[in-house]
Amino acid sequence: MTTADANRMLDVTLRIARFTPKPEKASRRRGGSPFAKKSPFGDSGASSRPGRVRGKRWTQEYRVSVHANDSVLDCLLMIKREQDPSLAFRYSCGHGMCGSDAVAINGTPTLLCTAKVRDWVKPDSPDFTANEGFRPTGQPVDDDAQALDLDALEPGTGLVIDLAALPGFPTQRDLIADVDPMLDQIRRLRPYLEASGELKTTDDGKIDAFEYLQSPEQLARYELLSNCIACGVCEGSCPVYAGGEAFVGPAAMITVSRFLNDSRDSIADDRLDSLMGSDGASACQSVRACSMHCPKGIDVGEELWQTIQKVDAARKARQTADA
Amino acid sequence: MSPKQLEEQYDAVIVGAGAAGLSAALGLLRSPAYEEIAQQGVQPRILVISKLQPLRSHTGSAEGGIAASLGNVEHDDWHWHLFDTIKGSDWLADQDMVEILASQAPATVIGLEHDGVAFSRTQDGHIAQRLFGGHTAEFGKQPVHRTAYAADRIGHQILHSLWQQCVKAGVQFAEEWYVTDLVVETGDDGEQRSRGVVVLDTHSGKVHAVRSRNVLLATGGAGRLFHTTSNSWDLTGDGMSLALEAGLQLEDVEFVQFHPTGLAHTGILLSEAARGEGGRLLNADGEHFMDRYAPGHGDLAARDVVSRSIMAEVDAGRGVADPKDPDGPKDCVWLDLRALGHDVLEGRLPEVCETVRDYAGLDPATDLIPIRPTAHYTMGGIPIMADGNVYEWVDGARRTVDGLFAAGECSCVSVHGANRLGANSLLDACLFGTRAGQAVASRIAAAYAEALGEGLDPTECDDDSPAVDEAAAARSEDIASLLAGAAVSDGDDGQAADMDDDNPYRVMADLGAVMERYAAVRCDHDGLTEALREVSGTLSDRAGALHAHSDTAAYNQEVTAILEARHLVRLAKAVLTASDGREESRGSLYRRDFPQRDDERFLAHSMIDADSMLSWQPVVITAFPPKARAY
Repeated sequence: MTTADANRMLDVTLRIARFTPKPEKASRRRGGSPFAKKSPFGDSGASSRPGRVRGKRWTQEYRVSVHANDSVLDCLLMIKREQDPSLAFRYSCGHGMCGSDAVAINGTPTLLCTAKVRDWVKPDSPDFTANEGFRPTGQPVDDDAQALDLDALEPGTGLVIDLAALPGFPTQRDLIADVDPMLDQIRRLRPYLEASGELKTTDDGKIDAFEYLQSPEQLARYELLSNCIACGVCEGSCPVYAGGEAFVGPAAMITVSRFLNDSRDSIADDRLDSLMGSDGASACQSVRACSMHCPKGIDVGEELWQTIQKVDAARKARQTADA
Repeated sequence: MSPKQLEEQYDAVIVGAGAAGLSAALGLLRSPAYEEIAQQGVQPRILVISKLQPLRSHTGSAEGGIAASLGNVEHDDWHWHLFDTIKGSDWLADQDMVEILASQAPATVIGLEHDGVAFSRTQDGHIAQRLFGGHTAEFGKQPVHRTAYAADRIGHQILHSLWQQCVKAGVQFAEEWYVTDLVVETGDDGEQRSRGVVVLDTHSGKVHAVRSRNVLLATGGAGRLFHTTSNSWDLTGDGMSLALEAGLQLEDVEFVQFHPTGLAHTGILLSEAARGEGGRLLNADGEHFMDRYAPGHGDLAARDVVSRSIMAEVDAGRGVADPKDPDGPKDCVWLDLRALGHDVLEGRLPEVCETVRDYAGLDPATDLIPIRPTAHYTMGGIPIMADGNVYEWVDGARRTVDGLFAAGECSCVSVHGANRLGANSLLDACLFGTRAGQAVASRIAAAYAEALGEGLDPTECDDDSPAVDEAAAARSEDIASLLAGAAVSDGDDGQAADMDDDNPYRVMADLGAVMERYAAVRCDHDGLTEALREVSGTLSDRAGALHAHSDTAAYNQEVTAILEARHLVRLAKAVLTASDGREESRGSLYRRDFPQRDDERFLAHSMIDADSMLSWQPVVITAFPPKARAY
């Protein structure tokens, strides 16, 4: 759709998967005799599922009249102001830099503030399945390419956008997901520059440059990776990642790749090492769904593949050396 | 990430985790004083409390760069940076502080590079530097390449690198904890002493008393005072308002920088490069009006000049409506990029084009783009000394508040004066943040040495003051009553909350509209009086009467928003009163009724408290006596 075609107002229903956590005092595990032996499988009951918060879940619909070029975040802010101030969702900068507003829109993880109404509305009918049910793999697609042709719709067709919290993470309230597992995994992989500390000196030993020198070509090898905003869209898209310990996840691997490719960093061996476990490079199944909606345009799947090859090569080299 | 258990007492609590807060944490942990303590086998207890997960901080949105006379591209001298900053400030900056800023800028930038910032590079591998408005060589002679940058993402790079280094240093964070009270006690001798803070853990909805011997505020700016702002939704002036509520003063809060080219009502910045490449500003009649206001400079005049000219056109009825809202107010003008051609647009202004397409749905090659000035930076704030220590201006002298520090946009060490130069804000935050952290470390070391000298355990709690616990108890009650006011308990019936009554999001929107109408870019006594009447009257009453619409305390964003609305209303009063008190035009403040700068009466910093008591502190002039500020 060209931008001019989208210059119109639309009546849209936002269908939001809501969740309110139970207050702590009410969530004491129920049932079971206090004298019974501890189960060998841990505590019984639904509440023993790790990361699962108990509470009330329901779907709520809000009707808004919005401009086709408004963002989905604009719609939610309008709802907070005009209809329901209790609706909870994270947001901060509003233009795709802070990374706080990753959610699932029509089932697809992406940012609220960069998602335009024109690209995500769909007819409110059960037989409309376009772009749903399947996650295309391979090349990232443009949002516009999936957009509905608004002119081709039957007059009076209801339009809807489905919203839910980011998949792969526990929901804390409404559209707020707990992305701490992702940040913990990033933190564990030494996500900081480890330079040797050596500065360039002149022939007679004087410091010639106070910064670590790096050519534009060396910068280009990791610059895009360093733009990652840790929003979690790639993690929510990954069918292997589920917030648990089985896979460190694409975001943490991108962080490792960023430092692996930085000419100033001096601990490449350790970084490759850190991905040799069963939760590292070998856990990635190359589905490449992670590349689909990266707001920074990182081809996450391809970058992961490059890093996996480096890890494999290092592992082989070590086995050869050991033999 | 939240602390599993709170300590009885902290040695230092840092509030805010953007460039200033994280720099302070690193400055503290990396200082020789801290190392000395660590060598004695005691571990000071430090906590960084932040409203947001640190990586979400607004520092990440800074685009342009960070200024330092590295001389990597051409010869430069920090004295020239000093002069430029003073001139940019319209001679309101304290020149001794600007000396620190300019002379220590190169070391600050090198430090950031060592911390991992992916600076853009010159061909020979040095940090690249670009031209930026107002930065010159030889005291104003010609533009100089002084601004270090990382493409157009310097803020993101600095924020992430600082956070990464904090991870390495093992800094403890309390994330999505919102500070509700700053506890300052006044002794019988009038001496003021910081005791700690009260925080709301937004995850659980619980209120905690956090006792600390040192508190450092680094909460950022207050762009949300205005409807149209480039600031994130979280910049609600919390630190400044907490200081006011604690009985302290703010300095020079009447100075708010507006960036001339915000995209219509979104407030999102369109880079100055758009005009640099030949973009023109047009009014409703299609007139290229900037030649009338700034002959010779035209569209490339200084930020405040262009902002004022746009508002003058709008006020004269020559504004245009945002095409998205054709029946709305005619409060924009056009930015015309149509003549630039495809190659220039896509090759040199890709970010501008993307923003226009994404957020306005317009095509810069064929459409006129609606723009209006957008609130960008608060020059004033909590008054601090060179080491970050907060002070009060009492009876013509500075009196420091024991154990209270501030840094970054919420503070005012006064390096920006009446108008900040581009690329100086990140520098201020990182440099003075680091210094404040170091000063806190020295205080901790001194306290530990004293305790150890007396044979005491330095981590033993000094529980001689119940002030923090009392404040926490009062705040708990306050929040309980906000929750009890929830009209409909959500979740049980799945119905939308009853919305016949008010909510904080409306109050903040209405406050932003009042501030925008009467105080944005230009103002006069009558308008300020009217604005004060509305803010002190209706808006204060509404903010005071708010309650939540859900009684679930966990992740109740509305409770936080109510506290934010109260913060903004309190701060708005101070801004309006200080603006009215300054009967001159200087830097970003333009008084229609007093259009000239008046050095006789107002070469001074305004100092205002919550009771609207206004006093004046002289400006420190060392090397450069005031001159006309002409570009």
